Amino acid sequence: MSISQNPRTPNDDDTELIIQINSGRTDLFPELVRRYEQKLYNFGIRMCRDVQDAEDMVQDTFLNVFRYLKDFRFESRFKNWLYRVATRTCLKKKRKSLYAPEEELSLDYFLPGEEAAIPARVPDWAAAPLDQLLNEELGNRLRQAVHELPESYRLVLVLRDMEGFSTSETARILNLSESNIKVRLHRARLFVRQKLTDYFDHEPYTPSSPSWSCPV
Amino acid sequence: MSHTPHHPHHGLAQFEKLSEYLDRELDELTCQDIERHAKNCIACRVCLETLKQTVMLCHSINHDEKPVPPDFAIRLKETIKALCRDKG
Ligand SMILES: [Zn+2]
Repeated sequence: MSISQNPRTPNDDDTELIIQINSGRTDLFPELVRRYEQKLYNFGIRMCRDVQDAEDMVQDTFLNVFRYLKDFRFESRFKNWLYRVATRTCLKKKRKSLYAPEEELSLDYFLPGEEAAIPARVPDWAAAPLDQLLNEELGNRLRQAVHELPESYRLVLVLRDMEGFSTSETARILNLSESNIKVRLHRARLFVRQKLTDYFDHEPYTPSSPSWSCPV
Repeated sequence: MSHTPHHPHHGLAQFEKLSEYLDRELDELTCQDIERHAKNCIACRVCLETLKQTVMLCHSINHDEKPVPPDFAIRLKETIKALCRDKG
């Protein structure tokens, strides 16, 4: 389907602002920064090794946005374009390519081995209400697991499951096919799930009882 | 628990589709296949439920956004201001 009456995305709150900036009102650029600095910073700390790298990424991204904003064609939401610039900035900094054949996560790794015990039931943690389950320690474990992912998988998981982009949006941000995004996302999720499973094997969650209870 | 022929019988296909299932990206028929299978196969049900919870946990930690550190916010503001002055 081709909807080409208006090249501008109608629901983008940033459109007016960008038109003004591009028509010479560069004094309004800080407003664009103000709108996205926190979002981008949080994306940065999910993606980068440390806070310093995250800050550099945010700053470099906005410098690039300032430089290339004239080329923004309103073909997507500004936010998507911003993340496209941000991921490029991120990868460029490390001189890495998303297409490099590095660090693949093989699905075999996640399949239950022949020896693996077949679980008798769904573990309690998987059925628990999130507000009872999620505490600081688990939050840290989860963030740590995400950081242990190879970068290209981490990018996909963060964009899809944390930043909330759809499969097709993520594909466009990363310039990868949708099927590629789906494969990477699934493997990334399986990886994180395995880390959580290991965590709960040692710290079993039991409904309404302290988490240090002894495994039977 | 000796040689229950568990994963050989349904193989990789269903396992690979579980994320798409959770994301509602599959057609009705494939969804029904997965649901029917998971009903009778505890291993796949465990996989599905733990995966689902993993995704929900990822979604939920997104809600506690950290504020930009104040000193960085100031530096960024200065950099941007200088940039706009030079080009503006
Ligand atoms: Zn099964």
